[in-house]
Amino acid sequence: MGAGYGQGFELTPEGPIIVFPTTLGPWLDYTINGLVIGNIYALLAVGLALIFGVSHLINFAHGSVYMVGAYIGWLCVTKLNLPLPVTFVTVAAGCGLLGAVIERVGLRPLRNAPRIAPLLATIGLSVVLDQSAQLLFSPDPRALPTQLPTWRIAIGGGSIGALDLLIAGVGIGSAGLLYGFLRFTKLGWAVRATALDRDAAQQCGVDVDKVNRTVFAIASALGGVSGLLVGMYYNTIDPNMGFQAGLKGIVAQLIGGVGNVPGAIAGSLLLGLIESYGIALFGTSYRNLFAFVALILILVLRPNGLFAQARRLPPEPLTGTFIAPSRPLVLPKWAVWGLAALALALPLAVQQPYLLQTLGNAWLYALLALSLTLVAGTVGQVSLGHAGLLAIGAYASSLLALDAGVPVLLAVPLAGLVAAALGTALVYPAFRLRGHYVSIATLAVGEIVTLVILNWESLTRGPIGVTGIPPLSVAGKPLVSGQWVYWVPLAVLLAFAALQSRLLNSHLGRTLRAIREDDVAARSYGVDLNRYKGLAFAVAGFIAGVGGALMAHFYSYINHETFPAPVSMLALTMVILGGLGNVAGAVLGAAVLVGLPELFRAAAEYRMLIYGVVLLLLIRFRPQGLLGTV
Amino acid sequence: MSQPKLSRRSVLFDTLAGGLALACITMSGGLANAAEAAGEPLWFGVSGPLTGPSAQYGAQWKKGFDLALDQINAAGGVKGRPLRYVFEDSQNDPRQSIAIAQKFVADPKILIELGDFSSPASMAASPIYQRAGLVQFGFTNSHPDFTKGGDFIWSNSISQAEEQPNVADFAVTSLKLKRLAVLHLNTDWGRTSKDIFVKAARERGAEVVATEGYLPDEKDFRSTLVRVREANPDGIVLISYYADGAAIARQLKPVGLNQPVVAVGSVYSPKFLELGGEAVNGVHTRANFFPAEPRPEVQGFVAAYRAKYQEEPDAFSAYAYDAVLVAQRVIEAGGTDRTAIRDAFPRVKDIPSVIFGKATFDPETRRVSGVRNVKLVVKDGAFALWDGSVPAAAN
Repeated sequence: MGAGYGQGFELTPEGPIIVFPTTLGPWLDYTINGLVIGNIYALLAVGLALIFGVSHLINFAHGSVYMVGAYIGWLCVTKLNLPLPVTFVTVAAGCGLLGAVIERVGLRPLRNAPRIAPLLATIGLSVVLDQSAQLLFSPDPRALPTQLPTWRIAIGGGSIGALDLLIAGVGIGSAGLLYGFLRFTKLGWAVRATALDRDAAQQCGVDVDKVNRTVFAIASALGGVSGLLVGMYYNTIDPNMGFQAGLKGIVAQLIGGVGNVPGAIAGSLLLGLIESYGIALFGTSYRNLFAFVALILILVLRPNGLFAQARRLPPEPLTGTFIAPSRPLVLPKWAVWGLAALALALPLAVQQPYLLQTLGNAWLYALLALSLTLVAGTVGQVSLGHAGLLAIGAYASSLLALDAGVPVLLAVPLAGLVAAALGTALVYPAFRLRGHYVSIATLAVGEIVTLVILNWESLTRGPIGVTGIPPLSVAGKPLVSGQWVYWVPLAVLLAFAALQSRLLNSHLGRTLRAIREDDVAARSYGVDLNRYKGLAFAVAGFIAGVGGALMAHFYSYINHETFPAPVSMLALTMVILGGLGNVAGAVLGAAVLVGLPELFRAAAEYRMLIYGVVLLLLIRFRPQGLLGTV
Repeated sequence: MSQPKLSRRSVLFDTLAGGLALACITMSGGLANAAEAAGEPLWFGVSGPLTGPSAQYGAQWKKGFDLALDQINAAGGVKGRPLRYVFEDSQNDPRQSIAIAQKFVADPKILIELGDFSSPASMAASPIYQRAGLVQFGFTNSHPDFTKGGDFIWSNSISQAEEQPNVADFAVTSLKLKRLAVLHLNTDWGRTSKDIFVKAARERGAEVVATEGYLPDEKDFRSTLVRVREANPDGIVLISYYADGAAIARQLKPVGLNQPVVAVGSVYSPKFLELGGEAVNGVHTRANFFPAEPRPEVQGFVAAYRAKYQEEPDAFSAYAYDAVLVAQRVIEAGGTDRTAIRDAFPRVKDIPSVIFGKATFDPETRRVSGVRNVKLVVKDGAFALWDGSVPAAAN
């Protein structure tokens, strides 16, 4: 082994080794590569920006439309042998239609629902689309050969091909067309009018539904074509290709400024460059870390994106509208105590370990939901990165127990403290953000936590993970049997639920809700927003941290993949299902959503599809959640 | 011990002969058992991904399981009783794999459990299997600590301590590469493999000039490869699965890399050729089996697989196929008692295996050693035996 160059670029105790290429050559290549990948992000970001611009919605189903486009293209190319231009038209038409259907079925019925409902509907739709594709086409990746000529242009040390140019052309061309459409056509004016003020536009005679349908159709057609192009670019498509791509598109358009079409392109190219330079300096395993750190920096420093006009109205109205106003179902005190007593007594009557484990899992997830419902429901800060708190708690407790020799019983609450402190510190920069921006910032924080765990090997053992985590034990007796996997989480859950209920009924609860309803008014009454938000996140971090710690001691092995991003989505779904801010609702939501997939186990391949459909139906018919928001 | 080996081999040959006819009349493993095995079925449980991001591997497992069960049950099953399985979808998620574990351990008909896929999902469930005394048999679990979970935790997953020196041999000794760049999946498997590979390559006198770990869902490798290029390697080593391996291969030329490529055996899949297209021509790999190998285990697997599914098998379906052969033998030897099945592991010797030839468990490590491998190179869009030619040095 020669000089330090090839050592890998782990965060070794000496810190990462930064290598600056000595000549200009590679920098030209890194720049080109950044533009090449940014080009690809732009295709998705433009569609997302268009949809956000008009309906103020971050469309999580956009990645799925992109996947559908890739599969339609695959059918055209490999099964029907259509010429390339016909394939493009078919994909655009098919996905445009799909977009119109999504708007009609999934979103229009929710136009008067709280802002959170359509956001969740798009998550539900994306589950349904992804799972349907998986059932139809099998989860195996497939090749999507391109019929484009194979010439390449040499630039720097590498080269680019026809497809790179085509992708750039489609990205810039569609942005140009959209710009023209929005500026110079009547429908375009209607779209912009709707974007500015939906009700006013409607009053002026704009057919708002038609505008929305058109926007979804155009954005989805573009999304489908992107899927086709990217599928050809990498010569591979699979039913899960949409999630990661959609995420990158969302990040890119936020960097450019939400709802800003030219900004989305610039943001995409910038994101590509950040990633490419990040790899160049620190190594491949840091790639997404830089992307997400950059996102947070931009959100904090320029919340409207890099390319927004300075004096624009914040695209998110006051956060209060995020929550569905409703009358919560209040259980009488004796019923609550009765239910708690029943739950505690259950293992005495039922000894099925599978049932107890499933319910035990539900109680552990209920801790996560409890934590999230406090920040998302009560304070109105919808977090999409809550799994990060679980991971912090899990690692803190495992490492305290294994490396510092702290008894597990003590390590768990300490882990809660660590999660509270770290979680609050990480989210702190996002305190000045509102609405969707908070969601995206927390999503980024969640990803950053995972990536730091992966890369900080000297502490976390990197991808190898932590093995041999001791189980929770009292007086030398490990609590691992069927009843204890149920009782321990339940006892902790009941304690925290009681605490949180008391908190919500105190003046503190009122203050937190005041921040949610109208932060300007709250501030004018002398409420220090940061302090109260910090307090809420600290309590939430403690609860989730303890939950993660308990999971780690039950699992005995964790690594950076144990708490992935979909866990955050699941937690949010639980919270909304139960009713935002509702303590009992969080518990119920967790029980239902951990239980449902287990109930559908017999339907193996279909159960995620059923889950998606159930989610959609719930949002459609009970957007305030089962027990109502508090 | 030679008696069962012989009968096993004849079973495979019979099946090879009758495989085509059999495969035509059977659409799924569930229907296959009617042929010869009868009576109360014997069950093994599988915990693995059927949905979610790793679903493709679960789908490949199923093909391997069904094929093995077709053959086993057509030949009389286990002592005349058909062998069957329950596949529970874990989505490769520890929360679900532990619930499945509780389900399996409480279900008296389950005699042995196979899976899960990744380390987080598998090793979270290990304590439950260990405590309940049900064998957890991991066949893709190369994490060095997997079998340390207890004496009910066994694995025939290829040990990287054995596999990687073979790959290093191929790259350094056979192909005479001296400056290697290693790209690896940044998972517990990829990381363990990389560490062992780097050590083995250095011992053989090569220099490792760059190592780059990437996340499983990454698709863009251009900048990673520029970094590799700047380290000026004379060969590139891929510690990858087939989809990401193909994606990397396709991006080599566009950044100006023409060096020979050596990949680990897990890229061995028809999908690697399909997804990689022309770009994978010339990629070397040390696969654990090759359809043209005359070994009866390989022939019994490959020919029947082609007949049943009209496609080429890959490494993951081979692992699953092998796992069922192990399950059959330990159930045969241990009967319907879970502890007796555990005790049977060190006793059953020379289990026919696509990957190992003959598999015998080491009671100390609870693993199998002696992985078979062939040196392959992709030629004109197909895997072919490496003819011993050393690629001309690039640059």
